[in-house]
Amino acid sequence: MTAWMKINGKTVFSGGKSAFDAAAREAENCLFFSEDCEDELVCDDAVSCYNCRYRRWTADSFECMKR
Amino acid sequence: MKLFVCIDDTDNYDSIGTGELLENMMGEAAIKDLAKSGFTVRYQLYIHEDIPYTSHNSSMCCTVETTDLDAFTGFCESYLEEYSAEGSDPGLCILPDDENLDYSSLIAFGKRAQNEVLTKQDAYKAAENFSGEIHLSEHGGTGGGIIGALAGAALRAGKEEGRIKGKLQPLPNKPEWTLSEFASVYGVARFADEEGNKITENLSIRFVHPTKLLYSKGQVTAVIVNENGCYMPKPKIKKNKEKNQ
Repeated sequence: MTAWMKINGKTVFSGGKSAFDAAAREAENCLFFSEDCEDELVCDDAVSCYNCRYRRWTADSFECMKR
Repeated sequence: MKLFVCIDDTDNYDSIGTGELLENMMGEAAIKDLAKSGFTVRYQLYIHEDIPYTSHNSSMCCTVETTDLDAFTGFCESYLEEYSAEGSDPGLCILPDDENLDYSSLIAFGKRAQNEVLTKQDAYKAAENFSGEIHLSEHGGTGGGIIGALAGAALRAGKEEGRIKGKLQPLPNKPEWTLSEFASVYGVARFADEEGNKITENLSIRFVHPTKLLYSKGQVTAVIVNENGCYMPKPKIKKNKEKNQ
């Protein structure tokens, strides 16, 4: 299953907000990962899309601003 | 005089965050002898695709003491215009911290901003009742940051719950604490369990993971959890939490 889906032209993570392993895998393979400021880190994987400054939270998941 | 100072929408994807900008601004104000600031509280606002936030739509509010309101306000305005990130929509709100003021209409606005999409007009309308008391200003872009700035200041004035910026690090070679010791060293006024119930017993705790403090019930609060029979400050982040904002 792909980790990403297109919604209205935006690239949205298909795992929602609780797919921690998938978010870590995606970030480990991403050239653009950059850790967000400390107050916005949400999981204990050092490298995770959930902790990336280029994720934009949506109601159900997040949009990747680099894909 | 005492104030609440809140800014919002000052960043872009490659800049420092709004919380860091606020702390830098307050540091500069202190150097210039314009103000002394207290801790910063982060308020989560509504996440919705119609709201043009950068990544998480939160606003940051701190308390300030100043003797020269006009000079301090002018300084904040100039600072935001100089240091806000390109493409951002900065807003500034400065609200008196005065127990004689009735903040209820502003607090209602702040709570709305946590649950619905609001406009600048909504913000200006909410501020109308505080004409002459409140400072609300736009500093570039669309100026839409005034919505979050007003909401953050209002929520802080209402003692609404938010996360305190920064984290506490365990001390080397000191894992064991009592709550009274912890309160004394870290300035914690209140302890609560994860459901928000106040803890009054002087529990022995183990502090080995970074933790974040809350501003809750108007007090600096540490959340204490019981993991496998061991009490500890709630670890800063938990991988298995269901909601992660």
